[in-house]
This record gives sequence, C-alpha cells and structure tokens, in this order.
Amino acid sequence: MLDYILIQAANGLVIGVMFALIATGLTIIFSILKIVNFAHGEIYMMGGYFGYYVITLLGVPPFPAVLVAMAITFLFSIGLERGLLTPLYSPRIERKADYGILITFGLSVFLRNIAIILFGPFPLRPPSFIEGSLAVFGGLMISYDRLVAAGGGLLLLVALIWFLNRTVWGQALNAVSQSRESASIVGINSERMYMLAFGVGGALAGGAGALIAPIYSLSPSMGLVPDTQAFVIVILGGLGSVSGTIIAALLLGISQNLFIALLPDPSRGPSYANAFGLFIMMLVLLFRPTGIFGRHAVAMD
Amino acid sequence: MTNENTTKKIAGRGRLPRRDVLALAGAGVAASMPLFARTARAAQPIKLGWVGPLSPPGGYAEGILMKDAAAMAADAINAKGGVLGRKIEIIYQDTRGLPASGTAAAERLIVQDKVAALFGEFHSAVALAEMEVVHKYNVPFLACDVWSQEITAKGYPQVFRNSTTFPLLDTMIGEWMVAAGFKNVALLAEQDDIGLAGRKIAAEVLTKNKIPFKLYTADPTATDFTAQIIRLKAQKPPFDFFFILYAEAGAYPMVRESHSLGFAPTPHTGIFLSGGDGVDPTFWKNVGKAGVGLLCENVGLPKSGWNNKTKAFVAVFKGKYKTDPPGAAMESYDAVWSLAEAIKNTGSTAPGAIIHGLETLHWVGTRGLYTFSMSHTPAWAYHQFMAAPATILQYDQENQSSFDAPIVWPRKFATVPYLYKTPTA
Repeated sequence: MLDYILIQAANGLVIGVMFALIATGLTIIFSILKIVNFAHGEIYMMGGYFGYYVITLLGVPPFPAVLVAMAITFLFSIGLERGLLTPLYSPRIERKADYGILITFGLSVFLRNIAIILFGPFPLRPPSFIEGSLAVFGGLMISYDRLVAAGGGLLLLVALIWFLNRTVWGQALNAVSQSRESASIVGINSERMYMLAFGVGGALAGGAGALIAPIYSLSPSMGLVPDTQAFVIVILGGLGSVSGTIIAALLLGISQNLFIALLPDPSRGPSYANAFGLFIMMLVLLFRPTGIFGRHAVAMD
Repeated sequence: MTNENTTKKIAGRGRLPRRDVLALAGAGVAASMPLFARTARAAQPIKLGWVGPLSPPGGYAEGILMKDAAAMAADAINAKGGVLGRKIEIIYQDTRGLPASGTAAAERLIVQDKVAALFGEFHSAVALAEMEVVHKYNVPFLACDVWSQEITAKGYPQVFRNSTTFPLLDTMIGEWMVAAGFKNVALLAEQDDIGLAGRKIAAEVLTKNKIPFKLYTADPTATDFTAQIIRLKAQKPPFDFFFILYAEAGAYPMVRESHSLGFAPTPHTGIFLSGGDGVDPTFWKNVGKAGVGLLCENVGLPKSGWNNKTKAFVAVFKGKYKTDPPGAAMESYDAVWSLAEAIKNTGSTAPGAIIHGLETLHWVGTRGLYTFSMSHTPAWAYHQFMAAPATILQYDQENQSSFDAPIVWPRKFATVPYLYKTPTA
C-alpha cells in the first residue's frame, strides 16, 4: 500500500510541476498588467504546436525544441501584447479590466479556431523525449516523458525565480507589480515591462505546452482545461504571487492524484478530480480570501 | 368625307389604341409568368441542411470529415445533373457539440434557409435537441454518427438514422468479450449520457453471461488518467480486459499511459477503445506502439464487403484528403445520396414525400443496402438502419490501416481464425 501511495504522490508531483509552469505565467501577467489572460490556455496550445513543427519540419531534437518553442511563443506573445493590449495603457480606456477580459477572451476563441485551420482538427503528438518507463516502487512505473517534463518544468521554474530575483529585468518587473508610479519615478519604463511580462508569461505557457505534448497529445482545444486549472491555482496561491502559485500547483497536483487513488469509490475518481480542485479552492478562500500568499490590493489602476 | 374616313380607317389598320396595347402586354406577361416561375424553380437548388460540430468543445475533427464527405456527395450528384433537374446545395451549421447550438442551428436552417431536410450530427445529446425542432416543423432529419438509442426510440416520424446504435454495437462487443473468454473486465466510460448509455448495455451483456466486471467513469474533459490506471493495475484479482468507452481528447493519452504503465495491452490484459478514435487518421501518430494489440470497432463495411461505391468513395476521399475515410464520413456521404434518392423516387421535396421516400428506400451506398425499419419493437428500431455495418478489429502491426487490420468479430466478416490475439510483452 505504501508503494501505491508513493507512486501516486510522485505522479501528482509531476502533474503539479506542469500545473505550476502554466499557472506562473498567468500570475506574472496578472501581477504586472493587472488583467486576467483568458487566452493563456491557447498560448500554451500554440507553444505545443510550435514545438511539434520545430521537431517535425526542422528536425530539431525534442529537448532543444522546447527552448525554440519557448522563444517563438515569447515573440508571439509580445506581438499579441503590442497588437491588442496597448490600449490598456491609454488613459482613454476607462474600464481597463473589462477591456482586458473581452480582448483576451476573444483572442482565445480566435486562436482556438485558427489552430483548427492551421494545424488540422486531429490530435498530433511529437516524438517522446525518451521512450519507455522507469520502474520505481514495487513494480509500479512512471514514464520517462513525465519525468523529463517534470525535470524540465522544475528547471524552468528555478530559472524563472532566479530571473525575477537576481536580474535587473526581474527586479524591474517586481517593482512595476508593486507600484507603477513608484517604478516610473525611478526610471522604469512600465510599458516595456508589460511587454516583457506578457512575453515571459507566454513563453512559460509555451514551454509547458511543448513539454506536455508527448504526454497528452496536441489538439486545438487542449488549452481549455489547463486554463481553468491554472485559474484555480492562481487564486489558491494568491493573485500575483509566483511562490504562492508554485506551492498551490504542487499541492493541487498531489492532492488531486491522491484523491483519485484513495477515493473509497474507485469508479468515480477521474469524474470528480477537477471538482475536487474547485472544492479545495472554495475551502481555502473561506479561510483566506486572498489565497495562500495573496496581496490585498490587486485591482486594475 | 368618305374618303377622309376611309383614309383614317386605312391609316388605323393594324394599329391598336395604347390602352389595348398595354392590356395585351399585361396579359402576355401574366400568361408567361407560370413558365418563368417554372424555369426559375427548376434553376433553384434543393437545399439540405447539415448539422454537426466544426469547432470546440464538440468533436470537430470528426465533424470536419463528415462535412467534407457531404460536400463530396453533393458534387457527385450535381455532376450527374442533380435531382429532378435541380442542383443539391448543402448549408452547413456548426453546432459545437452543444445542444443549445444544435437547437439554434436546426431552427435557422428550417426557418431562414428553408431546407428540405436536415442530416448529419456527431453528438447524440445534440441530435436529441435538434430532433425536437424538426419534429415541431415537420422536416425530415437523417441522423448520422449518433449512437444513442433514444434518438429513434422517441418514434418521431421525421427522424431516421443511418449509423449503428448502442444496442446493436455494444451488444456485439459484449458478445465478443464473452466469446473471447475474458474473466474480469474493467469498463471505463465517459461521464455523460452517451458514455453511460453505452456502458449500461455492455454491462447488461456481461451480467447476463456472468462475467465479473467493474464500472468506472471519467470526466469528458480529463486528459490525465495515470492515477486511475495505476489503481486499475493494482486491482486484485487483476483485470484481464480494459474496455474504454471514451471519444474525447483524453482517449489517446489514456491508451498510451495504459501501455507505458504496463497495464494494457499486455499478455495479461487486453484493451478495447470504443467511440471512433481507434480508426481516426492520427491514431498511430498518437499512440505508436501502444496501438499494437488494441481492439476497436469500425462502423464502415469491412474491406471484403466493399462494393463499387465504397471503393470509389475511398479512392476519391483518400486522394482529396490524404487519409482513410472513417465510418462517420461514409455515413454523411450516404446520407446526402439517401435524401436525394428519396426526393427522386417521390418526385417531390415536400416533407411527407421525403419521409415516405426514406421509409421505402432501397438503395445501395458505400455502407451497403439502405433500408429503414418501420418496426417499433424494440422502440429504437423505428426508422433505424438495422443492417448498419459494424465489425471489431484488432491491430497486429504498428501504422496498420484500419481497412487492413484483422477483423475478429462478427465471425461472418472475420479475416483471421482467432477471436483475440494475446499481445506480446
């Protein structure tokens, strides 16, 4: 039984890392731009497809393909931000939050449908990072693709934390997230930070898409569910908190997996797994309305 | 004077007063109106409405193939001069797999576009919503790839179905499981009306034959099944068969994960993927080695039973779309031809005539000889294509075409002597 619980917890940890990668991008965009990006799931989907075509058309091996996909998604996200979100920074727009919701929601529908035309309606799958599975506990196994995705995800999260805390750009982002006015006073160009935040958030989602593609396959609608889960995680962790988001993602991944593994009625585990995440969120919000590490004031200026 | 009068008369001979000229012209136009109307009507196409998912969250992949196949049928019919001297025009409506969108689409096609009949659909729940609209307006509806028995069991005179249905399909699969000798079955279905309906019928067959089984459900939006598969693998006594009734995005990851975790297909446990994904064009790209030994149903005619129409359709479809057509595409293609045949045979596009034309249809399409049952016993048999083909195949090589995979059931179509080939380690 202990083996069984350990393998389920390990698998939950793997899923949690993937959740964290998607959700941290969302929370960075929220903390800097103060908008909820409803197209985040679709950027994750585009990242997966970019990785797929970099491998299949250009012959790039799967590992570097993840980095190339991230770079393309970074540029793609910056293009989207420049093209669609700059009105947010203009004083002429009064209801900025509403504008952000409408434009990103519209973008998500557009990207999903354009993906059907560009990439075709049927699921696609890039080659595995490493074929096969690793026997871990008492004959129970975990696939190498999951281990690679989790390892790659952890590396990206560590790199992100280093970037946010140890580089000038990261500290500038942090400053803008705390106060745009104060950041401007010390000479930080806020608009450039918005662009960077949207690009970094998109690149993280794209990296997650490319890492997850050999596990879940790619389809134009693949962003719908991770998007919902990412929102749950971001709220759980506290809107705008990167560390809170990572902790919430790991907790959710492990607890969802253990819920499926230990639910007394085994026939209903996968049916209620997503609902379980929402239940946890409701519980946390009852006792901590700002999430685990949330700030009190996060509304759009 | 006389001369003057005579001169006037002569001058006026052959010339009519303006009033008379206008009256004559009016009469001429009026007399020729029916002729013009007839000519105009002859030039007007017969409109058919297609409903089905073309975008998420519905099964847009299958929907797009069905739409392509329907367009091929219309082109073929029009190339032969159309029906009753009129071209066939198909108006497509995306229902997104949502019942509310299906209702709106059917309403628009009937009220706004004035279609003679509706056909298509891929989701039973949506077809059930659309049926209420066609029933209200008395417009014929030939449902294609929708398997819920409720669709024909309602007994609506306007509703026909040319695909298989759960009572036919899952009874066949259940009987095969019994014949193949499985002793302990895990039955996982998607948590919606369709998955649960299919699961119920398969469970009834297993219960009747005293085969132990356990039922599982999964959310249709789920993509990660690792925890569940580890749990299934840990089951004591172990399962020797894993039957999946799941047609959503998670189907391929489930098969792949089941293989990579060493659960199925293995020498100890077989696997069946029901719902259509097993014969879709990117099946092998997604499952790779995990597909060798996997079983699934095919709702088209087996290759050995192909007629000239099947061969021609497969060749043209493959040439045009670079993929084998699944059964759903053949159903959509045949639906257009069936409706055209019904209109041709009755010489009318009136709803009653098309319904009568379908009820008396006796036409060979890509999936065999089409006739629609008039029996109400059982209830779902009414207006059902009872001979809808369905076979069980088991892949024995990677990248094998579904047309070339060994057929194991029903035995009359079997291409191999065995019922089930135990997968290798």
